Amino acid sequence: MTSWRNNRAARDARIAAGAGLAHGKVVEAPDATRLLEAVIRPGDRVCLEGDNQKQADLLSRALLAVDLSKVNDLHMVQSGVVLPEHLDLFDRGVAKRLDYAYSGPQSARIARMLFGGKIELGAVHTYLELFARYFIDLTPHVALIAAVSADRDGNLYTGPNTEDTPTVVEATAFKDGVVIAQVNDIVETVPRVDIPADRVHFVVKSDKPFFVEPLFTRDPAAITEGQILTAMLAIKGIYAPYGVQRINHGIGFSTAAIELLLPTFGERLGLKGRIATHFALNPHPALIPAIESGWVRQIHSFGSEVGMDEYIRARSDVYFTGPDGSLRSNRAFCQTAGLYACDMFIGSTLQIDLQGNSSTVTTSRIAGFGGAPNMGADARGRRHPSEPWLKAGAEADPDSPAPLRRGRKLVVQIGETFGDKNVPLFVEKLDAIELAEKLNLELAPVMIYGDDVTHIVTEEGVANLLLCRTAQEREQAIRGIAGYTDVGRGRDRSMVALLRERGVIRRPEDIGINPLDADRNMLAARSIKDLVRWSGGLYAPPSKFRNW
Amino acid sequence: MTAPLQHVAPAERARSTSFNEASARTRLDLLLDAGSLVEFIGPEQREVSPHLEIFDLPEQFDDGIVVGHGRLGGAPVFVAAQEGRFMGGAFGEVHGAKLTGLLRAAREIGSIPVLILFDTGGVRLQEANAGELAIAEIMRAVMEARSAGVKVIGLIGGRSGCYGGGGLIAGCCSALAVSEAGRVAVSGPEVIETNRGVEEFDSRDRALVWRTMGGKHRRLLGAADVFADDTVQDFREAARELIGLIGPFGLDRLRAEQGRLADRLRRFGACQDAVDIWTVEGVADAETVPELPADQFIALASRIGRSSRDAR
Repeated sequence: MTSWRNNRAARDARIAAGAGLAHGKVVEAPDATRLLEAVIRPGDRVCLEGDNQKQADLLSRALLAVDLSKVNDLHMVQSGVVLPEHLDLFDRGVAKRLDYAYSGPQSARIARMLFGGKIELGAVHTYLELFARYFIDLTPHVALIAAVSADRDGNLYTGPNTEDTPTVVEATAFKDGVVIAQVNDIVETVPRVDIPADRVHFVVKSDKPFFVEPLFTRDPAAITEGQILTAMLAIKGIYAPYGVQRINHGIGFSTAAIELLLPTFGERLGLKGRIATHFALNPHPALIPAIESGWVRQIHSFGSEVGMDEYIRARSDVYFTGPDGSLRSNRAFCQTAGLYACDMFIGSTLQIDLQGNSSTVTTSRIAGFGGAPNMGADARGRRHPSEPWLKAGAEADPDSPAPLRRGRKLVVQIGETFGDKNVPLFVEKLDAIELAEKLNLELAPVMIYGDDVTHIVTEEGVANLLLCRTAQEREQAIRGIAGYTDVGRGRDRSMVALLRERGVIRRPEDIGINPLDADRNMLAARSIKDLVRWSGGLYAPPSKFRNW
Repeated sequence: MTAPLQHVAPAERARSTSFNEASARTRLDLLLDAGSLVEFIGPEQREVSPHLEIFDLPEQFDDGIVVGHGRLGGAPVFVAAQEGRFMGGAFGEVHGAKLTGLLRAAREIGSIPVLILFDTGGVRLQEANAGELAIAEIMRAVMEARSAGVKVIGLIGGRSGCYGGGGLIAGCCSALAVSEAGRVAVSGPEVIETNRGVEEFDSRDRALVWRTMGGKHRRLLGAADVFADDTVQDFREAARELIGLIGPFGLDRLRAEQGRLADRLRRFGACQDAVDIWTVEGVADAETVPELPADQFIALASRIGRSSRDAR
């Protein structure tokens, strides 16, 4: 007779195999590797929790140490390949196949290992895309997750950096998988229940807190006048005319400059309350002055940020917090919010080509996608109107009757024509294409496709690609703001002049901005210490950002 | 073109301009009486480094230092300001010679004070020997000028701090004013970590760096005489205050300085961390010192900061 409950039986067998090492659900840290050997089977799909911020670091070390005769050829399905151990797994043969989303600090090594055939690559995803596949064809057999604390029953408190955990657990626990959590502490009662105990099978007490990277802290002291100028152009040239209130910001210095100009430059323009009121955004320290000045009504976050805990706790009108008072973040929900409920994404990139495709990939580095492609994409399923969305839609398609016209999300790329180390931002051909050729990938790793990009901002001005009617106009609009890069010098002068007349290209003077006004004195905070002052001492920056 | 946003008086600009962030020229413009700066060997003379070209490195027409004379509250002063944004304000051959020449001119005249706005990581490695010689020459020139009755005052609050040979020269000055962001030492954090290991000194622990080498600690130890808030105006006031305070220089003063340093070593030699020193000095809640706002810190420093008025 056919059995329809094989997976459940297999899951129960795994739990039974691990139970011998546990007191209730609790396993001692030195037994973590033996636990994994008992629970994981060769070829399993395993989600080792890690993203651009928090890491289940104890469990990754434990997994790396398994007996290869018991555990091998795993298929890792995880957001982040960030710790060296994540790649050591493939070097040792513990794991064989990989589906992931982000690999920031390991981007060079992962590229070498892909070239060397050490890793069998499924695909590089966006966060939301990988989460979606957890529920369709990449459901984990075992999830190894990180939490702040657990009680004896296994209820978990994931704290401000809840991030991916609820999604990973949902997909694993409700499809006959095993969930193992590393926790910093085992407590009598958890501050709040982020993950209910019946979804958690084992708890390992870590001897030190899980690692969290302060990825979203931008030191105002490092913001240049060029970045301030681009920020001024964005505020006056895009935020103001479209009246953009619901926004996601990237993590670069230009967007940090925008955040720090709201209470000064933005205030002077009378924009308070009219722009930048609602965010899908991590708790950026650079946004503190705007929050304190009453600009920001609400922020939902993907994750948290080191040092912001007390500030968030004291500003629960702005942030999402639990009954315990601390931040509740959720990457899947926030990505969805950024995709469907924000009217604008603005961020920086490394390379933009002549059609506006952009990429952060270079030939020797594969940093993955993270969340930017979701944020920086028009949501074709969106149905609710808003002023900026309708206005952008009308610019892109002036001829269709309004009731049948789709709106458009504003997707803005911002940067200086020459970026870090004087590398040009604009290129004829993306490195991503060369990489795809070298690796035989079916898709080049493009971060944001040109047809989703609506505006590009450089110190040379703002290019409004919504107003371009042909590929040639688009190319000249991009060349027209590419300054003295080779791409910029290749412009057709008369066509660029024509585009400027039509308002497709707007120079700083067309927007009423004097580049000489782009001064660091305009920033609401010029140092991390200024941010601490703005926060009333509630923001506690990590030591690496201090200069006092 | 739209009009610039700011038409403000120089004094107002001096109050709103961060000394830490300003360029060498902006610092001097706002520190001195408006329009009084006259530069010696300015960039138009293109006295560039003879060494950098060999390494295919960019030169700067003033070799990263502005020297000249001007007025401070109506009285004449000589000034030198290092540009920390050019090669970390490092001393090269021309850079050093400009400062040596300024100090020798001050020695000849004898009555005009010299303000040195330090912003340096030390000797420019590409000009090693010339740079080291420059440091020695400048130290000698400082002492000769002081012996001739010149007050030599160091102002430290730039991004590159005051390290290496700059720290040695600062130690020769009649008096120092420093801001919180200013750092004064000879070996920098990375140098110590490289030579003695991360356990000895973690250069990435910036709170440790600042409480060991930063302006507040230097003021509490008595190495700096005045603590300035991070505006050019505050440094201007500090310079004027110090010009009024500095007494005559001679053997007695050097003996007093030796005594002060010996006493410091006796009192604090066993301390492992700056916080221990502040605790021994009687600062309540010593670990909160880095967080104190400038006004509260100045009150604390004038209460317990070791004055060196009769030393140096």
